[in-house]
Amino acid sequence: MLKLTDLVVDYVGRKGGNRVLHGVSLAVPRGAVYAVVGESGSGKSTLAAAIGRLPVPGLTPISGTIELDGMRLDTASEGELAAVRRDLLGYVFQDPVASLDPTMTIGRQLVLAAGLTGKRAVGALAELGIRDPERTLASHPHEISGGMAQRVAIAIAVARRPRLIIADEPTAALDASVRRQVLDLLVAQCRAADATMLLVTHDLEAVRRYADHVAVMHAGRVVEAGPTRAVLDSPSAHYTRVLLASTIGHEQPGERVVPTEVAP
Amino acid sequence: MRGIRFSRDPLSLAAAALLVVLLFCGLLGALTGVFGNPSALADLPLQPPSLSQPFGTDNLGRSLLARTVAAIQQSVLLSTAAVLIATIVGAAFGLVAGYVGGLVDDVIGRLADTLFSFPAIVLAILISALFQPGAASAIAAVTLITLPAVIRVVRAEAMAVAGRDYVVQSRIAGASALYAMIVHVAPNILGAVIVQAAYSISFGMIIESGISFLGLGVQPPAASLGSLLFDARPYLPLAPWLVFVPGLVLALTILSINLVGDGLKAGFEGSDA
Repeated sequence: MLKLTDLVVDYVGRKGGNRVLHGVSLAVPRGAVYAVVGESGSGKSTLAAAIGRLPVPGLTPISGTIELDGMRLDTASEGELAAVRRDLLGYVFQDPVASLDPTMTIGRQLVLAAGLTGKRAVGALAELGIRDPERTLASHPHEISGGMAQRVAIAIAVARRPRLIIADEPTAALDASVRRQVLDLLVAQCRAADATMLLVTHDLEAVRRYADHVAVMHAGRVVEAGPTRAVLDSPSAHYTRVLLASTIGHEQPGERVVPTEVAP
Repeated sequence: MRGIRFSRDPLSLAAAALLVVLLFCGLLGALTGVFGNPSALADLPLQPPSLSQPFGTDNLGRSLLARTVAAIQQSVLLSTAAVLIATIVGAAFGLVAGYVGGLVDDVIGRLADTLFSFPAIVLAILISALFQPGAASAIAAVTLITLPAVIRVVRAEAMAVAGRDYVVQSRIAGASALYAMIVHVAPNILGAVIVQAAYSISFGMIIESGISFLGLGVQPPAASLGSLLFDARPYLPLAPWLVFVPGLVLALTILSINLVGDGLKAGFEGSDA
């Protein structure tokens, strides 16, 4: 299981630090699909990157603990961390095209990033619903669609059968027509590998459909967390109610949209 | 690799064609001597352009065509050699500064800023004066003058690419920082490096011509476009072609290189797709 305790993270730039996470605590049960929702700038993506202590420029964990199946990632050495990232973590990023190197063929990237060669690479792509895997392997990222690129990114993320898959808004850059297909595939792959999934998303419908648990973030803090049905059907935090009310289909006839001040 | 792309802009294509012709002439002259011996006496001194001497002769009676062709070869060769060194060294420093960041970036950035703070021609004169004037000091001067711009461009590009998801993804897959830099960052900034190198060659030619004009670069009997202009100064009223021909060739070569740089830049950015 993944356990975060009072995680504080800054983005440090030339002009000083900017606190993005203000003491986040989460407990993600093993094998669960755990969604993290919240508005833009709430710290969801930073949380996703901080879990694997990704080498993202400026990302600086300040305090708190990160535990994956009993292993402390916050105190792990760079060497230990590299092994954890490679063997235990799988990341799927928001922009599928940006997550593939534009100068390399898909086949080469599957070899370098996931160790997938020959028939294994073809099989991995076919399993994700790519109709002509051989052709895709010989293509560059700009020659395939966004949906296809995201399937390739999923193939890379799940290839080493990670224990934790972190998907940071994996369908936000995709057409509405392929979002559901891609999420179906991602969740199915995750369940098949018996992996835990942290799904960072804006899409509350997707949360309702796929997630077992959900945490709601606002201004770098978790304001509410629990089983998906309980949180979405009877939210206890004011911000969760505001977030739910802001989704399409929840507005009242004749209601005016008024900016809402929410205390963090 | 998707290869080097070039703009379809007619001006850039014409410049590329002109540059190829100039370089081909330089190469042909060096290999076959078809344009004559640049050091040998060909006719009476200060002869105007004619059928036998298309560019006329200089103050010693040497063929200006042969000397101009040799000078193109010399100027382009010196600038290209210097820029090649500056590009390799500058790209390595810029890549490390942009990818690693922090203190390493600060140190490399300050070194580049220090080099930048010297006016180019003053730095060139200083280097040529410190060492023996000649081709080697011209190369050293052009290298040091073009180096900081390469570092800055590569650093900025590497910084932008370092945070891209595919670089992070490669680190997640277990790649070391050095591996990510070489395999993912370097190929993705290659376009910017090539464009900067093209602009640096034209700037290098200006500097090389400047120091040769001041007598601190290429030494006689070898000729560069700058030294031809220097040699022609006293004869401007009597033999204006001695100034106009190398001046025009120098201007056209630099213009062509800059337009080729624009064409490469447009091609890499896909602005004319």
